[in-house]
Amino acid sequence: MKLLHLYHDIMNLYGDYANVLAMQRILQNSGETVEVDKLSLGCEARLDQYDFIFIGSGTERNQKVVLEDIRRFRDDLKRCMDGGKVMLFTGNSFELLGKTVTDADGRVYDGLGLFGFTSEEQNKTRMTADAVFGCGFLDSELVGFVNKCSRCRGIEEPLFEVKLGLGNCDNDKGEGVRAENLFGTHLTGPVLMKNPHFLIYLASLILNRAPSEDGMEFVKAGFEVTLSELKKRMEKENN
Amino acid sequence: MKRFFTILICKLLRFVGGLLGKGSSLPGQVALKLCPDILSRVELPEYIIAVTGSNGKTSTVEMIAHILQKNGKTVAWNREGSNQIEGVTTLVLSSATLGGKVRSDVLLIESDERFARYTFRYIKPTHYVITNLYRDQLTRNGHPEWVYDAIADSIHDGTRLILNADDPLVSRFGAGKEDVIWFGADRLSSDTDTLESAYNDGAYCPVCKAPMTYSSYHYNHIGHFACTKCGYKRHDTDYAITAVDLDRGVMEIDGKYRISLALKSLYNIYNILAAYTVARVVGVDGEKIAAEMGDYVLKNGRVITFTLGKRKGTLLTSKHENSISYDQSLRVARDYKEGCDVLIIVDAVSRKYFTSDVSWLWDIDFDMLDSPNVGEIVLAGKYVNDLAARFDYTGIPKDRIKLFADIPEAVDHLENGGERYIYAITCFSDKAKFLARVKEDQ
Repeated sequence: MKLLHLYHDIMNLYGDYANVLAMQRILQNSGETVEVDKLSLGCEARLDQYDFIFIGSGTERNQKVVLEDIRRFRDDLKRCMDGGKVMLFTGNSFELLGKTVTDADGRVYDGLGLFGFTSEEQNKTRMTADAVFGCGFLDSELVGFVNKCSRCRGIEEPLFEVKLGLGNCDNDKGEGVRAENLFGTHLTGPVLMKNPHFLIYLASLILNRAPSEDGMEFVKAGFEVTLSELKKRMEKENN
Repeated sequence: MKRFFTILICKLLRFVGGLLGKGSSLPGQVALKLCPDILSRVELPEYIIAVTGSNGKTSTVEMIAHILQKNGKTVAWNREGSNQIEGVTTLVLSSATLGGKVRSDVLLIESDERFARYTFRYIKPTHYVITNLYRDQLTRNGHPEWVYDAIADSIHDGTRLILNADDPLVSRFGAGKEDVIWFGADRLSSDTDTLESAYNDGAYCPVCKAPMTYSSYHYNHIGHFACTKCGYKRHDTDYAITAVDLDRGVMEIDGKYRISLALKSLYNIYNILAAYTVARVVGVDGEKIAAEMGDYVLKNGRVITFTLGKRKGTLLTSKHENSISYDQSLRVARDYKEGCDVLIIVDAVSRKYFTSDVSWLWDIDFDMLDSPNVGEIVLAGKYVNDLAARFDYTGIPKDRIKLFADIPEAVDHLENGGERYIYAITCFSDKAKFLARVKEDQ
């Protein structure tokens, strides 16, 4: 199998690269031979040959640089999305997929237009929060961290339901975006490493069967500790 | 009159707070309520030196104060490290006469990098040291470029910048300015030709975003960089580390001043260089600075030697959510030729705020511990599973790693486990839990 970590060196702000390590390991443990390509600005790439594509989060400036570069993949990405390829976009990388991104100075950049939503940045307050998100396709919640300066408006089918943390904009209870097997979320960092059940779910979509759960004891235990910490936090905030 | 009363009240609160052992930000907070522009109403000394950056602020400021005081200057400085505007206000007003004049020769301010823009609206530094910009507390700070923008807002005309030439993002503050004072390291024997880090924050030019190349890396993305496109490159230095031998614990500044090191880390030599640079700027002779810095042991409690049963060790206080701080500590353990065991504790991510985020563990280059100098690695604390998962992706053999959720159990294990030297690596937020179980050397 082939995995693609796209913009690995410029969109990799919070340990996002570990998502690819986690996917590589679970597929290998499931008996697959796995090859990982790390590509970046200006690299040639045939997206259709990959089984999993990942892009992580970057600074606002880096995201704009990537936005210019990724345009050449627009139609390929659309085909991948429509064809059900498993793709994960963490942090502000999923904003690339929308209609526009407006920076803090009001400059409007065209997005890839795979979705109709718009993103608007500001430079006054960094919006950060620990997160507990629910979703219909998993038995347990997800945990993680949101670290952004933008609001996304116009997402009709969000990926997650916010139980703790930040939604797509203001008091929005919806977070992220999903279409087919494309998953976009403002959760940053090693989302798949931190949420083994989400990793298992994505791996099962790639494999069309249940993956092996060997060697996941630490990540599973780590998830439980964080979930329990965050739930304590939620109770505190509700009281 | 308003100034008089505000200063008086600040001094009284400071005095009472001192008796009660309270922090130093409340008096300033009250003063700012009473008189929001109080900082612009005081008469300040000839030298107002500000220090900011991700790492090394407190140590650098302590060393600057030490050198200047030993050379006959009076220095007002925020030694408690209260570095937001309230703490700085407390510092300035408690150093001032009731008539509103700061009596010292030098006002030395450690400033939080995100809040400098508020502080320096009222107090314009004559000199402004920016040490480095790293991934640091990103759960609050966003990312280094976000902090860069916040610091850029705090720089005003008439302030001379003192910049780390080896940090590509920090150097950008000097663009278009003629009077910058640059410090940095020449190519050192400990340099590498390739990057040693879990990530690369020097991959792209901070100015034009084209790829960058390095002729030499000091550590992580700190080194001799050059953009492949726009001509942006490391600036020549005014004050430089010309040689270093960490094994023997000696550094050399400007080709002539040899300083022996109490703490053999690259971090420490940069902090010493920054302090040296400031002292030179204030007019202290290089020879005298070197004399004061020789074997200087920081008093801020970040490096503590201890005894645990029959074993000796050093606590290297590092910062959670700050991978380069960890990398520096790991490097010390890796290079300890006599051989050591390593303890790493992640229990509370921060002491100041709540977060359960441990993504920063993936930015730390734990593979450094895959060294013949390192024996057992003990991982401990509430987030021991996340540490274990991270180590699972290093090349370190599993049988060398021991896991304990409970910190006292981890310490007991070390006490009964051999005689090698111990390096304990953890954060302010967790170090007391460790120190409670060992005997600190005096």
